[in-house]
Amino acid sequence: MSQTGTIIKNGLWDNNVVFAQLLGMCPLLGVSTNAINGVGMGLATMFVLLGSNIVVSLVRNYIPNDVRIPAYVIIIASFVTITDLTMNAFLLDLHKVLGIFIPLIVVNCAILGRAEAFACKNTPLSSAIDGIAMGLGFTLALTLLGASRELLGSGTFFGVNVMGPSFHPAIGFILPPGAFIVLGFILMGVRWIDMKRGKK
Amino acid sequence: MPDFFKLGLTLMLVGMIATALLAGTDAVTSGPIAEAKRQELLRALRQVLPEGFDNQPDQDTVVVTDPRLEKKSKPVTIYRGRKGETDLGAAFKVIAPDGYSGDIEIMMGVTAGGAIASVQVLSHKETPGLGDKITLTAWPDAFKGKTLSNVKWGVKKDGGDFDQFAGATITPRAVVGAVKRGLEFFVENEAKLFTKTASTEKTAAEVKP
Repeated sequence: MSQTGTIIKNGLWDNNVVFAQLLGMCPLLGVSTNAINGVGMGLATMFVLLGSNIVVSLVRNYIPNDVRIPAYVIIIASFVTITDLTMNAFLLDLHKVLGIFIPLIVVNCAILGRAEAFACKNTPLSSAIDGIAMGLGFTLALTLLGASRELLGSGTFFGVNVMGPSFHPAIGFILPPGAFIVLGFILMGVRWIDMKRGKK
Repeated sequence: MPDFFKLGLTLMLVGMIATALLAGTDAVTSGPIAEAKRQELLRALRQVLPEGFDNQPDQDTVVVTDPRLEKKSKPVTIYRGRKGETDLGAAFKVIAPDGYSGDIEIMMGVTAGGAIASVQVLSHKETPGLGDKITLTAWPDAFKGKTLSNVKWGVKKDGGDFDQFAGATITPRAVVGAVKRGLEFFVENEAKLFTKTASTEKTAAEVKP
């Protein structure tokens, strides 16, 4: 498989931020009460990841090793602030829902993790692909978790009622414990699929 | 030693570029952010003010302080709705500090004469599925047309006339209490609120598109 293919496959599944690395748990558990929040948070994170990966890769030969972490943090924080301001200006409703979790992208260890593990060793192009792939993987996990919790806890799917009037939503799934329970089952499913594919 | 300087210089450079970038973003987005906030405010005002006003209520305001509106007596803006020279009513925010988790921010509209025009919950952190019925259902409609004397203020559990929700009494109790305090404030100060000239030209100028 080509290198690009490997990077994409790593980001979406094999080395998925959530399924394999179990990083970024705070926003994952915090905002995944419905599918739309999941998509919004995932895309915001992807944008930050893409930007920080490209910039870190561009400056990787100029930043001395001793100060690379503070430099990366400044780069990441800048992209987070840009995302925050842009969403505040043009997507006010989503911004209000995601609230504090947008500024908190800055401490999402998945992003610093990619800067440190990938972008500082690879070309800007591969780093950009890696950022998109990892971001999409995170979006996938957030959306899957959000959609499951929304379906069980509110009886809706992307805000549309699909379960009919006789369905009694289980509130527990929108509350914090529900996030852990559903995530556990999703991880179980992921491991099961991996085992079926004869890996690990 | 030169190493030391190089490290510091690199970080300074990174910081300076980042600052310039952020200043640029702020310059581009601050206009749209103010405009989006203003539209949101106007939308909320249109929903709570008595119908038919033809002024710009977000620019016809007075600022007051009263512990009944905000526990810590922070300034609260009163938005006035008028049709020509007639005072139709006013809208203002009240904070219910005694919800189940955190403050509940409520926008309420009162008609001249002291009846509730409408009540909207702007933001809250109540339990999803229980307390959040204050925004997801038509529950706030129960306030419409209520005055201090034509209804018993309180949830049914406390002997009042307002419904509570199964499993969530604290949230509606807090909202009913806050709206009642807001209404009492309005009735007491109504004459003053409408005669005071706009004292917030600065704010009004800031939100102009």
